[in-house]
This record gives sequence, structure tokens and C-alpha cells, in this order.
Amino acid sequence: MTQSRDNDNFSRRSFLKIAGLGGTALCLGLNFISEANAAIIKPHEASLAAIEFNPWIIIDPTGKVTIIDHRAEMGQGSYHSVPQIVAEELEVDLKDINVQFAPGNEKKYGGQVTGGSSTIRGSYKNLLKLSASAREMLTTAAAAAWSVPVSECYAQSGHIIHKPSGKKASYGELALAASKLEAPKEPKLKKISEYKLIRKPLRRIDTAAKTNGSLVFGLDKRIAGLQFASVERDPRFLGKVKSFDASAALNVPGVKKVFKVAMGYYEYKREGVAVIANSTWAALQGRKALKVEWDSSGFEHWSTPDILKKQAELIQTQEGMPLKTQGDPNGLLAKASKKIDVTYQTPYQSHCAMEPLNCIAHHKGDSIEIWGPIQAPGWVQDYVSKQFGVEKEKVLVNMTFLGGGFGRKAMTDYPHEAVAISKEIGTPVQVIWTREDDATLGPFRPGISYRCEGTLENGKIGALKFRMAGQNNDHWRGGKKTEPNRSTSEGFLKPYYESIKNLSISDVLFETSIPTSFWRSVYASTNGFAYESFMDEMAHQAGKDPLDFRRTHLQEERCQKLIDKLEAVSGWKKRKKNEGYGIAITECFETTVGQVVKVSKNPAGGVKIDKVWAVMDCGWYVNPDIIHAQVEGSIVMGIGAATTHQITFRDNVVEQHNFYDYPMPRINEIPPIEVHIMENEADAGGVGEPGLPPLAPALTNAIFDLTGKRIRTLPFSLSEV
Amino acid sequence: MSVLKINGKSYTIDADENMPLLWAIRDIAGLTGTKFGCGVAQCGACVVHLDGEAVRSCVTKVSRAQGKQITTIEGLSKNNDHPVQQAWQDIDVPQCGYCHSGQIMSAAVLLRENPNPTDEDIDTAMAGNICRCGTYPRIRKAIHNAAEIQRNSTKS
Amino acid sequence: MKNPFKINKNIKLKKIAVPVTVLLLTGSLTAFSYNTELTTSTYVKSPDFLEKKKDSVASVKAFEKVYSVLMSPRCMNCHPIGDIPLQGEDSHIHTMQPKRGKDGKGLYAMKCANCHQPENTPGLHAPPGNPNWHLPPADMKMVFEGKTANQLAKQLIDPNQNGHKDMKKLIEHADDGLVLAGWKPAEGLKLPPISHKEFKKAWITWLETGAYAPKQ
Repeated sequence: MTQSRDNDNFSRRSFLKIAGLGGTALCLGLNFISEANAAIIKPHEASLAAIEFNPWIIIDPTGKVTIIDHRAEMGQGSYHSVPQIVAEELEVDLKDINVQFAPGNEKKYGGQVTGGSSTIRGSYKNLLKLSASAREMLTTAAAAAWSVPVSECYAQSGHIIHKPSGKKASYGELALAASKLEAPKEPKLKKISEYKLIRKPLRRIDTAAKTNGSLVFGLDKRIAGLQFASVERDPRFLGKVKSFDASAALNVPGVKKVFKVAMGYYEYKREGVAVIANSTWAALQGRKALKVEWDSSGFEHWSTPDILKKQAELIQTQEGMPLKTQGDPNGLLAKASKKIDVTYQTPYQSHCAMEPLNCIAHHKGDSIEIWGPIQAPGWVQDYVSKQFGVEKEKVLVNMTFLGGGFGRKAMTDYPHEAVAISKEIGTPVQVIWTREDDATLGPFRPGISYRCEGTLENGKIGALKFRMAGQNNDHWRGGKKTEPNRSTSEGFLKPYYESIKNLSISDVLFETSIPTSFWRSVYASTNGFAYESFMDEMAHQAGKDPLDFRRTHLQEERCQKLIDKLEAVSGWKKRKKNEGYGIAITECFETTVGQVVKVSKNPAGGVKIDKVWAVMDCGWYVNPDIIHAQVEGSIVMGIGAATTHQITFRDNVVEQHNFYDYPMPRINEIPPIEVHIMENEADAGGVGEPGLPPLAPALTNAIFDLTGKRIRTLPFSLSEV
Repeated sequence: MSVLKINGKSYTIDADENMPLLWAIRDIAGLTGTKFGCGVAQCGACVVHLDGEAVRSCVTKVSRAQGKQITTIEGLSKNNDHPVQQAWQDIDVPQCGYCHSGQIMSAAVLLRENPNPTDEDIDTAMAGNICRCGTYPRIRKAIHNAAEIQRNSTKS
Repeated sequence: MKNPFKINKNIKLKKIAVPVTVLLLTGSLTAFSYNTELTTSTYVKSPDFLEKKKDSVASVKAFEKVYSVLMSPRCMNCHPIGDIPLQGEDSHIHTMQPKRGKDGKGLYAMKCANCHQPENTPGLHAPPGNPNWHLPPADMKMVFEGKTANQLAKQLIDPNQNGHKDMKKLIEHADDGLVLAGWKPAEGLKLPPISHKEFKKAWITWLETGAYAPKQ
């Protein structure tokens, strides 16, 4: 996912005075892209529409505070964390804040792709500053009104209070006066020790709506005149509709229309036949009655054994394109008397968010409106605008809550298809994907093979050489094939570069006609397994304790502290006979996570996971309870990815279908999980994804510790170890 | 044409009797709290109570539900305060929240029939409900808490 | 997962009165021998009018067919050793692990009828249906899984293990709704190895000729 941060560009000109909302509101926004955009705002544009321009915080005369959340809420907690930041520096109660999702508009809101675990780390500094500025402006306005020194006034719970006299004015009363003031250049920010809300485990503001069915996910959205569609798509990406017979489908009561449709994945297309009906059920029944013949010619067909064979051959015969090289790993490995040279394999995976893909679109001729569970509204706007020749400003992308995303809902294919269908029928339409569609059509996390070579020198790593062969997601969007995958080193801890003087990490070009894309923690999810399994193999080769071996090689202070913590909480050194302990530490989106997994023999056969300890160093953070939840969830997803999940292909067609053959972990399979957060004041790192990559290697390292059996291929069955 | 009694209210359903109850509830009665997850009774996102039992509405035909009391997540309590709902809110169980209508409806049946469930009872009752966000540790904790809330409320 | 036919591979050949070779469902041939002399049932008293019909050879031969049906996934999957039913042609432990419960109808949110409808749900991998879908109750588990022909035959006619059924009720049981459901499998599932008509005939023959248990 995008790893770039939003520009740290704080604009005083973006404080707006807007008449609207039944009065005057103080609107504070900041322009993440450039100063130039802020200049577009003119006072006479003050209206509800104008309020949508770039304001992040709106205070209306009643004192109501509205915050615009520029990111999607898909479980990771942005809908809560963004206001928790604002409430702290603005001095308002969280319960008095109303949150709205920003529609797609990257000019206004900056990067809106909810990915790369970037929501907080990309915007918290600006949010803090913006909120503190508003507080100072409101304080100054109050002091002026009361003709008292600003220093005698303070903010609390949406009010400014004059300390000596006890005089009090609400933010609503002060908003107009405050909006006329210049924003302070450098508002005074609280120290971490002064936080009352940030770093506290506050309850999420969106939970109540998730316990009574009132929360609106994409699939729950309803608009007037809505039709329903289900699409029979070619099971092979890049395939074409040769012919179809709609006669039986059209006889299904409720079915109105059947036609060919295509959805774009970047510049590629997937064709299908859409069935339009007056209810979801009728559309699904109509689709069952369809007869479609596909043309699957013109592109290579891959089966999983061929993929694995080809990758294995590539990593044995090709050097690949180096992403990182230092020292002379080849020279050292060539003359090493003893070296380890092993390969690891990881499978393709499907996202399988609980809410299957869906999207509502209304093509109105010269404008397009979209509603749906969307991770990247800006990308949808761009893509749809180009595909239909409608100005970008006239493509309105409305956000709903997402029933999970995991990277899949950052794609623009399903909104594109919905717009294409709406264009054909002229009314709004909701396109529903079945679980089978969602699980089997991709894009998938690519399955990757790794070759890891290493040699020791005086009990430490003398040289390392990593090569990977797997699809590069960037190639689907025009990435250069002459350059290595920039994520080849993802997951690998940067401090290793200091201690391992001879090292290379290379990407061997491997391509197929199977669509791939981001999947939670992206390449760290597979790289982490190979690199941290290999670190364990090197430790054993050196005759060193795997935790101490990492401590020796990760001399950076934060890593040392994290390892100490992990050792202490897991009781690493106190482990008993018949208990297998494994450790793995990975970096993902500027956050380091270490995990220890404890396993034991399962009386029913194989091994069982007894416990997982996780320590996360994400630097500055907002809500520790949300972080705990994200790490718990990442571990559960990681357990499925390591021990169960694998999408396999036969001639480009996926062999799995639904949860009966792509089974999800269930409550009875999940061990106790203990999460710890490192306390420091470093810059914020990501939270939603970094908890996933260490699970698989920590687990297989634990199994090696217990049984002496080294697992180098995922997934593997716990009951068959 | 059939009449369904959902959350104490009657709805006229003008649809094929073979239509799964899920789609009648969502698309015709307009109650979207009940979710579509898999369509084949694997995930539990669509659980509603049919005469008090936690049936999977994606495989239950409208015809089976006629004349029975249907309760959806919207009707589990008046004020979002069933002990299970309270416990879910107290420790923020949901992440994305999509599966939790079903999770809560399943947990409510467990607590009705077993006011003091063990971890094993929770596994038995809840293994039919998938959560892709992985909220299982919290579901377990919340059910224990809900049992306590329920016990305390019956005492008082 | 559990394969009932594995058990038979361990059967030792003994001196036999009537050697019979049975074609097992898996398609492999396994020597399978019966000794009818020592195993006449003492559990169910046959009605007097059947006394003259007693024929241990015919009885055991009929039971071969009965056994092949009862050990097929359509029957055995709901007669597991443990408290969780089995699923599919390979008789794996039922996904999501629903438990038997006291009455055999499941527990809490995981009662059989929550997914298993009065009739089959259309589609591959959709739940098969029957109005009375359940396992045997906890106090009368009627386990088929893992049972030899001898063990199963004895169990079937033991009123303390068969739901207190006498000869009449046993005969009637061939037409029980849930027994019949075995021949109406959901999409994609195989039928038992013989038709219900053949099964019923073999069942009644077995019972009426003395309900002899095979030696093994």
C-alpha cells in the first residue's frame, strides 16, 4: 500500500469562515497538498457545499463539533482515533464530536487510501496542531470579549473559562469571533505526560451502532430507485465472453435485464454478464439460470504446481535485481566452509473480508455518484473519471463503513463495474458479489518463493543473501519490470543492515496472468516468514539461543528494549521441557513487532498453539485498546494464513470456493493472546497491519524448538506436524 | 404473498416462498442489521432468532418462518442493552462490526440456555460464527461479562 | 479422517462355516469371513412365528448389505464415536464442531435445525435437510463409527443400546424419516451403496432370519 505520508504542510490560510449550518461556523482545515488549493476558497462560497472544502473540524454556533474523517473505517479504528486526537488538543468531550466520512477528494483531504497503516502516522501531527490552533483562537476570542489577559483563560470541555472570575463561554458562542482571528503559527502542543485522552484506552465511539444493527455498511446502503445486480464473471482473469444465453434468466421473476459488462483492473479487463433485478435474490436466481460460454484464449494459463516449479527454478538459476546490496555476500558465501542454503514457499491468499464486495453507482450522464465500502475513494474517482470521460469533480464517491477491507477494497474494479452497469440501465444499481465471487476472483496476495543463503563468522552472521521470486503488485499498475520490487526487503528489520556487513536482497522477475494486489501487511506477510525463519536457522547453526541471537544482531536501542520486554513477558528463559517457544521480529510500516509463540504436543495429534505474546513498538500512539485489538486480530488472521489458507489454481481458475474449502479460524482454534505496547515518544508507526507478519515464523520456529522439524512451506497443518 | 412477524411487527412479503429469509428481511422488510456473509450457513453473519432459536436466515426459506416469531438484531432489545450488547460495548468487541449482529444473536441464545457458560460452552456455541477481524478473544471475554451482567440483573 | 473400512483390514481369518467375500465400498477387495455358529443373538427374542425362519447363513449374508449401508457416510456421519457429527464423503469432523447435546439436537446457537432445514438447501455444500435432523441422544449414542459388523449387529438388537426397540419397532425403523433421508442426499453427496428397497429387504431378512451377528 502507499507508504508515503501526507505532506506536513500546515496552512494558516485554510482556516475558513463560513456562514452556513444555520449560522456561522468556525471551520478549520489544513491543506495537505499545497498552499495553492487553499487559495481557491472564497468567502462567498460559504454554503454547505463549501464547507466540504477541506475543513477537518467544524464548530457550529450550538457548539457542536464535526470532524471530517478522511479515511475509511474498516475495523481499524480511524473513525475513533482521529476524533480522539482532536478532542485532546481542542479540549472538547469525545461525546460531543460528530464524525463524518470525507467523500473522495484528494485535492482537499490529501492521500485518502486507507492502506499502509497510514491514517494516524500520516496525519497526527497536523491534527494535533490544527486542534491546538483552534483552541488558542477560541481562547483569544474569549479573552478579547472579556478584556482579560489570554493567560488567565483556559479551555475545558468545549468552553473557555476565565480562571479568576469563573466566567465561561461555549465554543459555539465564540466560533464567529474566533474565525476572524489569524491562526497561530506555532500553537503550543501538550506534552505526552499532559494527555488526558490520547494514549488512554477510551471506548470506541462506533461500537454501539455495531451492536444493534444500525451501522450502515456498503451492502446496507439504500437509495431511491435502487436496482440490484449480480454478475457472472469469467473465472479466468483476462477471459472474454464468447456468448451467452439469457432466456432462462429473463424468465426468473424480478429479473429485468441481462447484458455483457466489463470491469477494469488498471488497464486490464475482466468480462462478465450482469443480471439486473428488483431484489438481490432475484438477481442471484437469474444469474444461476444464465448460460455463458467463455473465450479463455490469448493468455497463459497457470496451475499452482507450475507456479511453484517455475519459482523454484528461478531462485536457483537467477541472481535477480538487487534492491539492497552491501559488502560482498557472494564472495563470502563462495569461500564459506559451512553455509545454509534453503528455500521457503508461501501461497497465494484471498482477502475474504466478512462483507463481500459490493458497490452502488448512479451514472447520471454528466455526473456519477458512488456509494460503497471503499478504501481508496480518490483512486476510484480518478479511475472512473477516466473510464467514463466524466470530469473528476463530477465523480462523487460517498463512503460507508466497511465490513473489513484488508487491501481488497482499495481496488477500483468493483466500483467501475457498478458504474458501467448503471450507465447501461440509467438508474442507480447495487452490485452484490457472492462469497464465491469475493474469494475466488482476486486480486490475490501473491505466493512467493525465497532462497536464503547465509554463513556465520565467529558466531555471528557473516553474510546473507536473500532472493525472492513472486509477482510484483506494482506491475499491474505500470511498474517497471526492469526494477526490483521495492518491497523485497519489507518486513526485514533495518538495524540488521548495521550488524550484517555483507548482505544482498534481490527480486527475481516472475510474472503470471493471475491478478495480485495488497493484502494486509503486503509483502511483509511473506517476506517475514522467510527472513525470520532463516534468522532462526542461523541461530541454531551458531548454537545460540534464537532470542539472544537477534539481540546480538539488532543493536538499535528500541529493538533492544523490545527484545527485553518480549523475553520478560513470555518467560522465554523459564520455559519448561515439552514446551516449544519461537520468536520472530519484523518491521512493517514503521512499526516493529516481536512475537513469541508457545506450542506443545496435541494429545489428539500434531501440535497446538498454547499462547502468543506480542510486543509492538509503534512509537507515538492514540488508543492502546484499539492497538491491542488490531494486534489480536492480526494474529488470528496470521494463524489462518500460516496453517490453513492457500488459494490454488488450475489453468488460472481458483480451486477454492467459499468458507467450506477456504475455512476461517474459529473461536475454538484461537489461543490466548497477550499484547504489550512499548512506551516511547518516537514518531508514530502503523498499527493495523504490523502485527501479522511475525506470527507465521514465530510459530514455525516454536515448532522447530519443540520437534526439531523445520517448516519451510506455508500453509502447514498443525494436526499433521 | 406471505406475512412475517419480525420484531413484533407484521410485514407482508410479496416474494417467492423459496426466497431465503435473509433477503426478505434485508431487501423487503428493510432491516439491514442482519448480514449476508457466505450464503451457505458457514459463517453465521445472518443469524436471527426464529421462535428463539439462532437460525441461519441465508438457508431458511420464507415459508419456514411464517407464523413464527422472528427476532433480528434490531429487535433483540429496545435500548441496545441486552446483557450481550452491554458486554460487547463495555470492552469494544467489534472491529469492523460486520459479523457482530450474528455473533450477538448466537451469544444471546447461549446465555438464555446456559447462564454460566464455561470456555468450552462458549466454543460450542460460537464456533459457527466467523469473524475475519479476529475478535474471538474479546467475544469470549464479553460472553463471560454478559453472563455476569445477566446474573446481577436477575438478582436485583 | 476416520475410515470405517480400515478396521476390516485387521480382521483375522478364522475357521469358517460360510466364507463370504464382500466388495467394500472403497472398491478394494478384503477377505472378510463369518462364523455363524457362535453368534446367534440372545438380545432380541424373535416372535414364535419367526422361529421356523431362523437361518444363520441367510441372516449374516443379509447383514453384509445392511452393514455396507450403515457404514456409508450417509448413515455413519450422524452416528459418530464422539459428540460431534461427521461430514462429507471422507467423514471428517463437522466444520464448526456442533455438539450432540442431551437430546441429540445440538446445543445453544448450534442446534442442528438452525442450519439443517426441513428439506435440502439447493447448491453444492449447502446443508442437507430433514424435518427431524438430529444425532442419537446422549444417553443412547448408537455409535456406528469404528464398529465391526459383529459389534454393530449386536448393538442394533440390544434394546439397551438401540433406543429400546423390539423386533417390530426395528423392522418399522427401516422406513424412519431420517433413515430414508440417507437416500435423499444434498447436491454433490453420494447415495448409500444400495437402494433403500434393497436395504429394507436385507434389513428385514436379517432380523427375520434370527438377527445373527457375523463372527467379526
